[in-house]
Amino acid sequence: MTAAFTRREFGIAAGASCAAALFRRPADGAPPAIGAPIAADEPPAREASWYRKLPEGRVECQLCPRGCQVADAERGGCGARENRGGTYTTLVYGAACALHIDPIEKKPFFHVLPGAQALSYATAGCNVECKFCQNWEISQFRPEQVRSAWWPPEALTAAARQRGLPLLAATYSEPTVFWEYVRDAAAAGRGSGVRSVAVSNGFIQEAPLKDVLPLLAAVKVDLKAFSERFYREVVRGELKPVLKTLEVIRASGVWLEIVVLLIPGLNDSEAEVRALVRWVRTNLGTDVPLHFTRFHPTYRLTNLPPTPLATMERSWRIAKDEGLAFPYLGNVPGHAGESTFCPACGYRLIHRIGFEVVENTMAGGRCSRCGRTIPGVWS
Amino acid sequence: MTDTLSRRELARLAVAGLVATAARAAPPVRPGRVGVARLAPSPGHAPIGAAAAERAVAAALAAATGSADGRAAVAALFRPGDTVGIKVNCLGGPRLSPRPELVAALAALLAESGIPAHRIVVFERSSRELARAGFALRRDGGPFLCIGIDNDYDREPSTSGEIGSCFARLVSTTCTALVSFGVVKDHDLAGVSAGLKNLYGVIHNPNKYHDHNCDPYLADLANHPFVRGKLRLTLLDGVVAQCHGGPAYRPDETWPLGAVVAATDPVAADAWAWRVIDGERTRRGLPTLAEAKRPPRFLATAQRYGLGVGDPAAIVEVRA
Ligand code: SF4
Repeated sequence: MTAAFTRREFGIAAGASCAAALFRRPADGAPPAIGAPIAADEPPAREASWYRKLPEGRVECQLCPRGCQVADAERGGCGARENRGGTYTTLVYGAACALHIDPIEKKPFFHVLPGAQALSYATAGCNVECKFCQNWEISQFRPEQVRSAWWPPEALTAAARQRGLPLLAATYSEPTVFWEYVRDAAAAGRGSGVRSVAVSNGFIQEAPLKDVLPLLAAVKVDLKAFSERFYREVVRGELKPVLKTLEVIRASGVWLEIVVLLIPGLNDSEAEVRALVRWVRTNLGTDVPLHFTRFHPTYRLTNLPPTPLATMERSWRIAKDEGLAFPYLGNVPGHAGESTFCPACGYRLIHRIGFEVVENTMAGGRCSRCGRTIPGVWS
Repeated sequence: MTDTLSRRELARLAVAGLVATAARAAPPVRPGRVGVARLAPSPGHAPIGAAAAERAVAAALAAATGSADGRAAVAALFRPGDTVGIKVNCLGGPRLSPRPELVAALAALLAESGIPAHRIVVFERSSRELARAGFALRRDGGPFLCIGIDNDYDREPSTSGEIGSCFARLVSTTCTALVSFGVVKDHDLAGVSAGLKNLYGVIHNPNKYHDHNCDPYLADLANHPFVRGKLRLTLLDGVVAQCHGGPAYRPDETWPLGAVVAATDPVAADAWAWRVIDGERTRRGLPTLAEAKRPPRFLATAQRYGLGVGDPAAIVEVRA
């Protein structure tokens, strides 16, 4: 179940116009109160951490592989960063446009504190444009077009702690575009027992990734397909940098899970799925959980049907046949593919239905029957 | 008071628009023709007098359309039942945005042709940008309305070629006719920001469409029925133009072009702007836009779509 903060907690007044009028930034330039809506015409601006200055007041963003070169008064492709007189600024630092308490299984993470709840947050903006985006109403808009509230990093971790939540999840849109916010929230949580995870498209440059990875407990990457063509035409991104990201995360020791949304006719062929699975096995190993999730028509892909169950099950079988230890299925409630089985003895260790953990028989990171180590973040 | 139109206001405008649609004949288009009137900048950035602004706009319109005068030009392009949206480009701030006096002059001609003040809507992405450029925000009364889109976009995206965007409801629903009122300036990515680039301000996600010098995206936007079916006129404030360093205002890169420009062919207006910007760049010893790796490629694509003439060499400049 998703437990949203109440509107009052989130700090958004009943009408957008009221919000804009009542919660403008104080005249002295001080930030608004925690949870107060951010005036649409005055998103908080803070110098970005990953960019370089170019001649004539231009800048080059060094956060994601797009590497936007941005003239004064313009924004990068994500819409969340703006060149202000030669200083590149993030317009989304502390500007949460979504704040919910979700089960960690919803991200999905199946090997991270099963059954735990995560305080999940997002800002406006994304560095790609997936035609199938489920959250396009926040990811594909600029910060001033989305109602956001002031939740600085320390306030997020304090809110999580007060509610007894062990996890903070940067999710829904694309954490890369609010990477400074993710970094500082993760750092703030470290000292107070609130661990951070990120749910990302993996389209990020290596340096900022490595800067923040040590602060994270786990990363889930959406591997959108296994073809550059799909990335170019359907995502407006690139596959190669995402594969690099997966390798970097895996090498870092930070827990990694991968999700592949199977879209009928676009990325779900047997050959493509097999190639993807083999790449995972060869480059990341067999212990990385690989989730196949079911597509539902949305945004700019409303002309396609949901993924047939047969395609889902075929992909699941391919992953098992190719030797992956932890293949999963998503958006097929009640299917065995939602549960965790011991790859050694086949015993069902975690029984899930949808996002709910029905039974967990894990014994300290091991199979309770045969003792095989099950990798993940269990405590 | 909110900064977006209420549903009732929208409904009122939309009903008027529907009435207009039924009565309208296809407006005349002069492919490849651009009308240019002289208008010198006033010293010290002082506002241009209303009378001079009116004369220049009327003369440019007459030259662009071959009509006897500005009033006849407007009467040929718009009908009294139209709801006319005038999109202004105010990103450059007070020194590099369409002058409010020129916009007011166009609104006055529209009013003379029988369009009531409440159906002449000057708009930009945000109320803030309008105010910063010197426009008085107005949702009621006065010679025309003046409002920011702010967050008033369609709920669902709509596709044209490579773009998939939510359009401002003013454009998709309210207005039956559009005017793009831009400036003449260099753009770091598009090459030229004049009439077509100004239209990025009517969609919610223009930042997604700046790759490859905005090609084919700007052409795809102009080819969308909301734009192609409604855009009747392009006007450019070229009193002061900017040949480098755009889209932001860079005083050292501006020059007194002294022109007010009109065209019924939106592609031709931009091709003309490309020509004059390259001319000034050459005079200054700067590389041309093509040499600087930002030719406005979208113009050739727009021409291929049949939207107008995109070859700068083929533009016929008619001086008022
Ligand atoms: S993070 Fe945004 S501004 Fe930076 S390179 Fe990516 S899309 Fe461009």
